[in-house]
Amino acid sequence: MKGFSYRWYGYIFLELIIFLALFNAPGTRKRGKDLSAPRVYTVEISGMKFNPAALVVHQGDKVMFVNHDLVVHDVTEAAKKSWTSSPLGVGKSWSLNVQQSAVYYCSIHPVMRGSITVK
Amino acid sequence: MKNPNYVSLSCIGIILASLAFPLLVNAQSNPSLSDAEVASVAVAANQIDMSYADIAEAKSKNTKVLKFAQTMKRDHAAVIEQASALVKKLGVTPKDNAVSKKLLADAAQTKKTLNDKSGKVFDKAYIDNEVSYHKAVINTVQTLLIPDTDNAELKQLLQNVLPALKAHLGHAEMLQKNVVQ
Repeated sequence: MKGFSYRWYGYIFLELIIFLALFNAPGTRKRGKDLSAPRVYTVEISGMKFNPAALVVHQGDKVMFVNHDLVVHDVTEAAKKSWTSSPLGVGKSWSLNVQQSAVYYCSIHPVMRGSITVK
Repeated sequence: MKNPNYVSLSCIGIILASLAFPLLVNAQSNPSLSDAEVASVAVAANQIDMSYADIAEAKSKNTKVLKFAQTMKRDHAAVIEQASALVKKLGVTPKDNAVSKKLLADAAQTKKTLNDKSGKVFDKAYIDNEVSYHKAVINTVQTLLIPDTDNAELKQLLQNVLPALKAHLGHAEMLQKNVVQ
């Protein structure tokens, strides 16, 4: 009976360790945090267009613009020029931390336009 | 009552036929180009627009016109760089031909006309020419250069350049409407 009790305590201790390991594992915590963490969206610049041209994101999300076109582009807020990338060479990228909705364009090629909507 | 309608229809028919005739003649007179000749036309077309931009940079004082000219120089230089790298890789030497010679001859005349103008008159002439030039180049790329190109990579490069040419046309039309009226 005494031996059985020690074995029983041993099982409980083992289960406790497994429980703590499962709910405190770094990967588990990361997944839990990721549900509310900022997301990263990618806008590809190619064929003289922003793809996708319209994005819906949450405040604090990031939008990364990648220039896969033949020529240099930039990304500039349209209404007040409140933010702009520097000219993006071919293969270069630039990230925007989104705080509010915006319509943007390429100031080098003004026919290229896109929008980010914060929901 | 029927006769006037017949007259009107006949007139419309004659007008349409007279408009279509030069297009057909032009299509029939278009030579079939080798890839070396296609490369020559493509490089010439880009160089010509860069030379127009050089004139604009020397003569215009309008910031929007100057920025447009800078964009033309930068973009067409990028296209020439890629075309040059490709023909080098393919071992193709661009070869002069009737189409590239005609483009260069027309450009010489246009440059003379532009150089004779100044101020707002120049700005308008430059942008008007950019609109008509890009329309003509887009048409040439779509109906002559792409169909005549045999090499898949050269054909792909020409197809990739089309959106840039169309964006340039759209930009020039914006300036034509809002800046140099």
